[in-house]
Amino acid sequence: MNPSENADDSRPGVSRRSVLGGGAAVAVAVPLLVTGAGAEAAPVAEVASADLVPIKVEVNGKPVSVRVDPRTTLLDTLREELELTGTKKGCDRGQCGACTVHVDGRRVLSCLTLAATVDEREVTTIEGLARGDRLHPMQQAFIERDGLQCGFCTPGQIMSAVGMVHEGHANSDDEIRERMSGNICRCSCYPFIVDAIRDAQKVMR
Amino acid sequence: MTVSPVGRDIDRVDGRSKVTGTARYSADYPASNLAHAYLVTSTIGRGSIRTMDTTAAQNAPGVVGVYSPANPLGLRLVPGIGEQYAPLEDTQIRFRGQIIAMVVAESSRQARDAAGLISPTYDEQPPRTSLADEPRVPAAGPPGHPPSALVLAPGVASIEAALAASDVVVEASFHQPMQHAVAMEPHAVLAEWNSDHTQLTLYSGAQLPHTAALGAAIRLGVPPTAVRLITPYVGGAFGSRVIPWYDAPLAAAAARQLNRPVRLVLAREQVFTVVGHRSAVNQTIKLGASRGGVLNAVSHVSDASMPFVGYRQMQPAVDTSAVLYKTPNLHFDQRHVMLDVPPTCAMRAPNEAPGAFALETAMDELAVATGIDPVELRQRNYATVVPGTGLRWSSKHLDDCYRVGVRRFGWSARRAEPRSRVDGQWLVGMGMATAIYPGNRIPDPVQVRVRLRDDDTAVVSSATADTGTGGLTMLAITGAHGLGVPLRRVKSELGDTNLPPGAPAVGSMATASTVPAVEAAVNAAVAELIKVAVTDPRSPWQGANSEDLTYENGHLRGRGISMSFGRLLTTVGRPSVEATAAAQPGPEATQYEFHSFGAHFCEVRVNRYTGEPRVTRFTTVVDVGRVVNAQAVRSQIVGGVIFGIGHALLEDNPLELDTGRLAASNMADYMVPVNADIPAIDVHWLDRPDSVLNSLGARGAGELGTVGSAAAVGNAIYNATGTRIRSLPITLDKLL
Ligand code: FES
Ligand code: FES
Repeated sequence: MNPSENADDSRPGVSRRSVLGGGAAVAVAVPLLVTGAGAEAAPVAEVASADLVPIKVEVNGKPVSVRVDPRTTLLDTLREELELTGTKKGCDRGQCGACTVHVDGRRVLSCLTLAATVDEREVTTIEGLARGDRLHPMQQAFIERDGLQCGFCTPGQIMSAVGMVHEGHANSDDEIRERMSGNICRCSCYPFIVDAIRDAQKVMR
Repeated sequence: MTVSPVGRDIDRVDGRSKVTGTARYSADYPASNLAHAYLVTSTIGRGSIRTMDTTAAQNAPGVVGVYSPANPLGLRLVPGIGEQYAPLEDTQIRFRGQIIAMVVAESSRQARDAAGLISPTYDEQPPRTSLADEPRVPAAGPPGHPPSALVLAPGVASIEAALAASDVVVEASFHQPMQHAVAMEPHAVLAEWNSDHTQLTLYSGAQLPHTAALGAAIRLGVPPTAVRLITPYVGGAFGSRVIPWYDAPLAAAAARQLNRPVRLVLAREQVFTVVGHRSAVNQTIKLGASRGGVLNAVSHVSDASMPFVGYRQMQPAVDTSAVLYKTPNLHFDQRHVMLDVPPTCAMRAPNEAPGAFALETAMDELAVATGIDPVELRQRNYATVVPGTGLRWSSKHLDDCYRVGVRRFGWSARRAEPRSRVDGQWLVGMGMATAIYPGNRIPDPVQVRVRLRDDDTAVVSSATADTGTGGLTMLAITGAHGLGVPLRRVKSELGDTNLPPGAPAVGSMATASTVPAVEAAVNAAVAELIKVAVTDPRSPWQGANSEDLTYENGHLRGRGISMSFGRLLTTVGRPSVEATAAAQPGPEATQYEFHSFGAHFCEVRVNRYTGEPRVTRFTTVVDVGRVVNAQAVRSQIVGGVIFGIGHALLEDNPLELDTGRLAASNMADYMVPVNADIPAIDVHWLDRPDSVLNSLGARGAGELGTVGSAAAVGNAIYNATGTRIRSLPITLDKLL
């Protein structure tokens, strides 16, 4: 949604400074009508640190303590606070699956998960899947079956696939297709993703 | 003897980084003192901004800059390339979803929150939005591609007369809605200047790195040499990263003003309007044929939406109806309808996919009208020369695609009569269609650098892009092939304008254009190596004639001595030798017609009670010349076919006529295929080298699969149900 669509025009107490003139002269008049926009340093109200929520979370096996804005998603926290950029933002609203991670072993969409809710939990991201240099069988299978092209959906696909196998729901190609349908791949590697999961789950058993 | 990797199943050389999350896409790059930007876009379709109050945004926590028409960034437009307006430079609104402000803050969330506090008021005008009602204008057409043409047999007065003289006439009109690339990576940029603002580094996804850097430079008013663009990983493109949009220039201009790096990531909904889409298009096809199905006349007229802001003209007939079938009388006219809509751009098979949907559906209708099998009908109209020009193809084996496809798919089990196969609740049908896509090389020179190193490894570098196409792996494969060394000893690099300008990752041309440049660079690097061998005092060949030395499989030989290049370089104490070479097409480019071809075969099931259509089987056989990497070609063709299935059954973005609002601006409303929509897809290639095009005989394969696949689905649905749907997508309501 465009933020301006929800902006409240008549918010009380906000003094509206019309920076632009109206009518036919608008296009030429713009440069003359700057009323300080961008020119002055606005007083910056910091988020009160009392409003931050301290959380303790185990990320990829390592304990992490971080103070988060209660409105912040797990996805933004991983990417921007913890510099774990392997988890991707494709839509930021639960429609694409690119942000899939594991919380206590279950696959979740990190863009729909508030960071404050993972206090005292275990989070696994794509960066935590391999054991040192040894790839997880799912990672290996994605390479061998070419279950990826651009690779942007791939961390989410792999986390989702591992979660699904652990759920015990990868028993047929149709079941895999159905239960992987929350992970969009616009490069359209779907048949190869199914191949990879079928291969990997044999090794994972 | 080293076995060449060409044509084998080669894993992507960047696969490991992509499955471990270490591959960095544009939004993943770190920077110290980074500021985050967020855009505000217009909520009317046409008019101007009357007021825009940015006070609350400026005073919001963490905000360091608010840019708007009152405080613009001084961007310039690039005449003739991309959108023909510069955001924030005036108050005019040209389409709904246009950039009208940008907020920069300490964190991405603060920028987004503050952007929500900006509340413009507008002077509105009714947007011009109706493809059916707005005036049609003739297209200008790119050079060498006239927007219209008329070929008439001797004595024929007009295309209408040719049609009237035909035994059987099929006339059909088609509609295809706006479509979006929806690459999984939302457009993003990190812009970072050096301390005196003379050098800018942009991390931003691009299909043409040098063009993107150039476009940003012009928009910023800096010399092209001042911009370096880094784009090793691109999260999909499909045409949406061909030309630079305004994200990178805006971020860069703000970074310059704020004296700190700025990252701008488009929200998914913004990608739908800030980045271009494929035009909506109405097409009418008229086919005149004998009772035996032999074409006498083909007419193809299109009206495609063209935004007033630019930039891409759709030409759906020129590489479909104009070349696909033999016909003595041919007419096409590709017109535009100017609308107040977001910019258009290329999207996977930009002209050919919509063109083939229309033509290949009309051919199926002709098959029905004449009672001839659809494959047989196409064979009866098989073109061996281009209608009108008489040019021959460099290599064409479409007839074999049909033949092999018929066998692999089991086409003979098809019953021509619709609704004749029922399986429980499901009506089962089969359809087919032809695929065709230009097989050209880019006319401009393409450069590649080959470096031979003293550890017996080589580096092949070229500033092309890998948008998921496998370009990085292709460079390594062709380098290993040329040098005759194992693939594991070749490293490849791309996606950086500090590298020699390479092939654009557009038009399925990257591989075909790069192959000859790799070959030239290999030869040049070997010549450098030999020069060192015969001149360096520490070389065993010092003083020999260059002609006495031969290079083969990583070794120099001559005068009874053989040495690997690494060993020679170590011996003479040089870490490496390198050479950069360029290649571009020769006279053959105008002496032949170049296309890739294919045949699609599709089985669908349509639910008798709900109308739900499901694709259950798909076979595609292609003629793409020699295949460089079997794995990549398979993935590309399958991906292309799935794009076509999406076009056929799912993808739609209706335009609200009163407001100019695109109804779909997220990934739930704009539906693309998901895993459960897609069956196993059988892809086969003929592997006949196109030796006219380049030495390996390799043509591109990225877009071909998208051409004709939607028609194959629609034709199968007709065969299943007896209902012909000419307006995409074919949703269940249309089948009830
Ligand atoms: S980013 Fe979370 S589902 Fe798309
Ligand atoms: S690999 Fe590109 S979106 Fe899946």
